[in-house]
Amino acid sequence: MIDTLAQAVVNGLLIGGIYALVSIGVTLIFGVVKIVNFAQGEFVMIGMYISFFLAARFGIDPLLSLFVSMPALFVVGVLVQHFLIRRVLALGDMPQIFLTFALSLLLVNVALLLFTADYRTVETPYSEVAIHLGAIYVPLAKLIAFGVAMALSGTLWVFLHSTDLGKAMRAAAQNRDVAMLMGINPDRVFAVAVGVALALAGAAGSLLMPFYPAYPMVGQVFVLMAFVAVVLGTLGNVTGALIASLMMGIAESLGIQFVGSDSGLIVVFLMLLLTLALRPSGLFGGWLR
Amino acid sequence: MKAKRPAPGWLWFGAPAAIALVLPLLVSSAFAIDIFIRVLLFAFIGVAWNLIGGYAKQLSLGHAAYFGLGAYTSTILLIRFGVSPWIGMLAGGVVAVLASLPIGALCFRLRGPYFAIATIATAQVLMLLFLKFRDFAWGAEGTTIPNLGNSPLMMQFDAKVAYYYIALALLAIGLVITYQIERSWMGYYLVAVGEDEDAAEAIGVDTLRIKRQIYMISAFLTALAGTFYVQYIYFIDPNTAFSFNVSVEAALVSIVGGIGTLWGPVVGTVLLEATSALLQSWLGSGHGGAQLTVYALILIAVILWRPSGLLGVLTNAYAHIVQARPAKREALIDG
Repeated sequence: MIDTLAQAVVNGLLIGGIYALVSIGVTLIFGVVKIVNFAQGEFVMIGMYISFFLAARFGIDPLLSLFVSMPALFVVGVLVQHFLIRRVLALGDMPQIFLTFALSLLLVNVALLLFTADYRTVETPYSEVAIHLGAIYVPLAKLIAFGVAMALSGTLWVFLHSTDLGKAMRAAAQNRDVAMLMGINPDRVFAVAVGVALALAGAAGSLLMPFYPAYPMVGQVFVLMAFVAVVLGTLGNVTGALIASLMMGIAESLGIQFVGSDSGLIVVFLMLLLTLALRPSGLFGGWLR
Repeated sequence: MKAKRPAPGWLWFGAPAAIALVLPLLVSSAFAIDIFIRVLLFAFIGVAWNLIGGYAKQLSLGHAAYFGLGAYTSTILLIRFGVSPWIGMLAGGVVAVLASLPIGALCFRLRGPYFAIATIATAQVLMLLFLKFRDFAWGAEGTTIPNLGNSPLMMQFDAKVAYYYIALALLAIGLVITYQIERSWMGYYLVAVGEDEDAAEAIGVDTLRIKRQIYMISAFLTALAGTFYVQYIYFIDPNTAFSFNVSVEAALVSIVGGIGTLWGPVVGTVLLEATSALLQSWLGSGHGGAQLTVYALILIAVILWRPSGLLGVLTNAYAHIVQARPAKREALIDG
């Protein structure tokens, strides 16, 4: 019993690391640009396909393709900000919500047209390897993914706290108008925020590839988790999103273990609805910390 | 001098109604009738969505919840208890209204994107629950709806045209309700809530109450569509009944046509479904994704260049053609 419990917690924690990368991106964009990016999951999907094709065509290990998917998606992020998001910032809720929503719809369906709905997987030498800690079984690919995800989150935290650009982003998140008065160029800060957020989604995609299939709709799994985590962790709060993501991973895994294989999502959504009912501002409060 | 002369009200209802009534007599291919039924049904769902999403600007992405509840209520009543879907349809509406109360209580605490996310979650929770309800709701496999032959009392017909007229009647009901609301105190309150919730609250509008009431009406209507749809396709499962696509199309057709306008959802559905039908005849079937790719592109274009929707483009064009001459004459007189 204790072993099953511990195993479920470990499984949840490991996948929670991936959720964290996605939800940190969502919360970063919301914090700085004040837009909810409904398409964040689709950028995870793009990251996965980049890694898949690099592995299938050139035999490049998915973990190495991180160095392609992250910069590529950073550039995509800057373009998305410049050509799409920037144009609706002055408009109301409807355009702001439905623009990224339409983008999500577009990316899923273009992927469906280009790659079909088939599941694509990549076999790596470590895909089947696992470490045994007593009775607990830790798949190596997931452990690596978790480690890299935590390292990237830590790097982002350092970036936000100790570089000028990072501080400018936090300032813009706290009070956009005052930040601009202090001479912060919003276009640049917004572009970097969206770029970094998408790069994290791309990283999530590459990290997932050794143990998770790529298919056009794959992003929806992650984006739903990310939304819940972001609301739980308070929209705009990076540390909150990270902690909430890990909690969600564990909650989902416990749900699967103890309620039934298809109950993971129910547990997660009920957590969301409960949070909204009891503490709609999230568990952590405050802006970018 | 006269202000710009709007088309008289009876014309706005009368002309489309006349066309819709005789259309099946002119075009009788089953394929075309099927498309018409889809257009009417989605226009109706769009009209229902538009009440809460368009007028009150509460951008729900979870209307599949009510569509699914309507579908399941009538189907369970039909198969388990032999109740006619006509009664089941109303029962489904009542169930949806009841469900909208707690869902609304939860979601209306939230604004903008939070609200949209919360509504997605409620529809998803319902779908996941119905996947688990194997005993009384057939779980993931779903069920076919027993074909009783031509029995109008059980909402089953041999002739497809009958379904066409039911869908048309639903749409007409939706439009009349919207028309009435638009012209009532409720309509003005709704627009106030949609424009600026805090300001509306400040001048004494009970925004929560008004949102709750319009949400109930919207949920009721959406549930009727759910019953109709499963009766039409003779099949139900959680993925069909609570399909995210229903939530998406409900919002999509309204936005493309013009949110917060009586005819916006109808115009949007006609445009999108026409595009989809053309695309299908051009590409043939089997290009998964082509239709929604085009929908997404249209949506992005509308948001970037015409956030008020395409209905405005059409009425402007109409004003241009029909009213250009009198306007000119008046200009001469004025001059």
